[in-house]
Amino acid sequence: MKLNQLLGALALISASFACSDSGEEKPLGKYNNGILIMNEGNFGTNDGEVYHLNPNTEVLLPNIFEAENLRPFAGLLQDLVLESDRLYLVANTGKVEIVNPADFKSLGAVSAELDQPRSLAVNGSKLFISDYGPYDASYATPDSYVAVVNGLDGGVVSKKIPVSNKPQDLFSFGNYIIVAGSEENKIEIIDATQEAVITTINLEASPRQFYAEDGILWVYAVAADEVIFYTVNLSSLTLGNTYTVPVTNATGNIAFNGDDEMYVLTSSGWPDYNDTVLSIDINGSTSTATQLMTGSGFYGIGFDDNLNQVYVANSNGFQGNGTVTVLSETGSVIRSFEVGRGPSGFLVYGN
Amino acid sequence: MFLLLWVYTFVGFYPVSQDTIPLAEVEVYAPALDRFAQGQKVISWEKAELEDFQGRSLGDILQEQSPVFVRQYGAGMIASPSFRGTSAGHTAVFWNGLPINSPSLGQSDLSILPISSIDQVSLQFGNAGALFGNEAIGGSIHLGTNSEFGKGLQAGITHQTGSFGLFNTNLFAGFSSKNFSSKTKVYREFSKNNFPYKDLGRIGTPEVKEDHAQFEQIGVVQDLAWNLNSNNQFKTAFWWNKTNREVQPVMGSKTKDVQEDQAFRAVIDFFHFEEKSVWNLKTGFVRNEQLFNASENNSTQYFVAGDWDQEISGKWTSKLGARYTLTKGDLSTYKADDERIELYQSTKFSATENLSFAINLRQLVYSGTFAPFTPNLGMDWSFWNTNTQSLLLKTSIGKGFKVPTLNDRFWNPGGNPNLLPEESLSGEVGLNWSKKGDLNWTQGLTYYKMSVDNWIIWLPKGSVWTPENIKKVSNQGLEYQGSLNGHLGLWKWELATSYTYSKAVTTKGTDENDQSIGKQLPYTPQHQANAKVQVKKSGFTSSIGTFFVGERSVTADNPRMMPSFQLFNFGLGYDQLTLGKLQFPLSFQINNILNTDYQVLYLRAMPGRSYQFNLSIFL
Repeated sequence: MKLNQLLGALALISASFACSDSGEEKPLGKYNNGILIMNEGNFGTNDGEVYHLNPNTEVLLPNIFEAENLRPFAGLLQDLVLESDRLYLVANTGKVEIVNPADFKSLGAVSAELDQPRSLAVNGSKLFISDYGPYDASYATPDSYVAVVNGLDGGVVSKKIPVSNKPQDLFSFGNYIIVAGSEENKIEIIDATQEAVITTINLEASPRQFYAEDGILWVYAVAADEVIFYTVNLSSLTLGNTYTVPVTNATGNIAFNGDDEMYVLTSSGWPDYNDTVLSIDINGSTSTATQLMTGSGFYGIGFDDNLNQVYVANSNGFQGNGTVTVLSETGSVIRSFEVGRGPSGFLVYGN
Repeated sequence: MFLLLWVYTFVGFYPVSQDTIPLAEVEVYAPALDRFAQGQKVISWEKAELEDFQGRSLGDILQEQSPVFVRQYGAGMIASPSFRGTSAGHTAVFWNGLPINSPSLGQSDLSILPISSIDQVSLQFGNAGALFGNEAIGGSIHLGTNSEFGKGLQAGITHQTGSFGLFNTNLFAGFSSKNFSSKTKVYREFSKNNFPYKDLGRIGTPEVKEDHAQFEQIGVVQDLAWNLNSNNQFKTAFWWNKTNREVQPVMGSKTKDVQEDQAFRAVIDFFHFEEKSVWNLKTGFVRNEQLFNASENNSTQYFVAGDWDQEISGKWTSKLGARYTLTKGDLSTYKADDERIELYQSTKFSATENLSFAINLRQLVYSGTFAPFTPNLGMDWSFWNTNTQSLLLKTSIGKGFKVPTLNDRFWNPGGNPNLLPEESLSGEVGLNWSKKGDLNWTQGLTYYKMSVDNWIIWLPKGSVWTPENIKKVSNQGLEYQGSLNGHLGLWKWELATSYTYSKAVTTKGTDENDQSIGKQLPYTPQHQANAKVQVKKSGFTSSIGTFFVGERSVTADNPRMMPSFQLFNFGLGYDQLTLGKLQFPLSFQINNILNTDYQVLYLRAMPGRSYQFNLSIFL
């Protein structure tokens, strides 16, 4: 896939947008194909889980972590990070579970020393885990960090690198880990050997998600009335172009379709609670935003590159299981089905 | 349940004992709970039965010895009652006649209502909006303290030591003369709660020790009663209770939350007795202070009430009353006041000695809004009586309501001031069969049916959660209760059993695609049972109790079911050790004898086998 071709040995497949590892020939297992549906779970219940969907046959396998490991996942699932032979399940309740992506059998875990992990990146033989850190008395997170673990199958945290408040997505490139500092509108760059922040780039909006395509690292950042796409020059570690799109109330949820087009969720919040799915097309210096769907309770978005379908997750108020609605690229509803509790993202494998 | 007949207690007030009334002791007046509760199911535990639960909470006795399901969030953690498939907010809780549910949450945490602080517990099942007012939908819980006249000096100390750092002490001292009575209780309950459990949230599911569930509770209860003269009596009670807890995290989380709950409750009753009537003026105060980490939520309620209970003729009895409540909420995100006025009227008609009817009515107005008017009609008919046996038919139909809580209405952001009160309708039929002889038994079977409309649930809208009147729920079920006792040589034995079937189904949800429609409510077992067998001989008592909780779902759409579980407890006691005037009752308990690994709620660890020694000294 593009990312591997571009970045050579270091592949990053981050977070809740679609990526695949079709560049390598891997034995096809039960689960490392099709679409993984990440269900965050309900606060206080820790019933996060992963569902597997075969988009061609529409066969859905529920709770595959519990089914394969005979114990509940027992956490709130924040992120799924696929890194060649390992799939990292990041729980914001304080752990990372590591499974074999083919059969979902447990390979290891990082279960101590973490507070509220958000995402993960691999660099060499180290894991870097972004973590909000503990809440203080007023529910702020002044002690956010990126935790370092020596060993791809987990183990103990050897170091916590202080970063700006509420780090989200991570991107690994060369000897660097790039951190989306969401609360203070910063990108911080960590030297993976020194295990320290060496550069900070200030942004005009809150960075949420990285995406690499055709040699360019994109940063998706949100502000109240607009979303901004930055590009980062990976050789000089400086900002390149900036594309500003007037979108109000954008959330951090985005899916990229690989053709300079992306799908984002917006939510007007209280008191009107109108959520929308927008498709944003960037063409040269112009951008257009088109509304594909409106509703309430949208909680995650994904894109299936193979069938050109948009996946929209609805939490259904966390009262029970959520639903997923599949849309065509133009927004017509193809089908809808029930998934786990609080569905929040998708990991789409290539063909 | 007919023990507390009004006449009995009324006459009981007079310190002069009368030959015709077999009074065991002279009591301070307390209006009988079931005086106008014809047709309703009421069960009660007196002091002696509560002794076995000393050092434990109200939640434990309800879970182990009643048809109520208790949702327990861990050892010593929040425990909320579910009567007949309803939620914790559908249970009214009273202490000496004052409603003590938190006005901001609309419910009570049973884990911080210690048995040590109360002398009497009664449960009433089903809608009783007319008799008990707001929140009496699934049922109501009535806690009381008792004081007595003419007992002289009494004092005692009880100490308990047990597994997982359990260390409880409680002291009481009382003095009463013919016309004055004072009783003071002081208690401290502590548990480290460092019980071992299998951590399902960790790779390899290792056995670990719980390290964040410490529980400490202290409190003082003071009861006073005076006879001003033969027609007037004053009674007051004061209760201060403070609990500090480490909040036990759900498996897979490492939260280090701490919670402090403090409650001050005070009530003053003035009774004026006339030949055929009793006037009661009641005033009270309840303050709740909760500190969750740094978030502080406080509320104060002031009550003024009065009622007049009158025997009109041999067949007709009536009670008329009113209550005013002022609530001041000072919560972490809002401040709000609420005023309530309610009027109630009860009439009982005893057609014959064996057939009586009651009609109860209540209207509550809150902040200028009328809550649903709640009538209730009930009948008790003892239609077959022989020297040794009797059959009693009880039936009632009634309404209940729940005013939206302060949080429902004012929480910022999300509170919804336009919410309607929840409204319910229920009916029940029960048949009780009792037999006296060498073998005594009582057996009761009750069928109930209920619906709750405008059920309030909180839903996330964007990033804000807000409550709406969304659900409609229909409940029906069967409750069986039996007790059997007799002699076997010198041994006295007793067996108590109960079984409950409860079907509580969502009939209207968020929309027509709501997956919960037609399914059992979350954390509502369809089957529940308990049994206890006890044998006694010359001061020795031994008992084995068991309770069973059936499968229950985690969410309203039922995709994930929690397995059923059954626990066994064992108790052994000896109460005839004395030295001069001092008595030294001793007892020993084993809870969860089989060390069963179970959870009541998903991923909330519960303790395995535990031991407890109790030693008391009574003067």
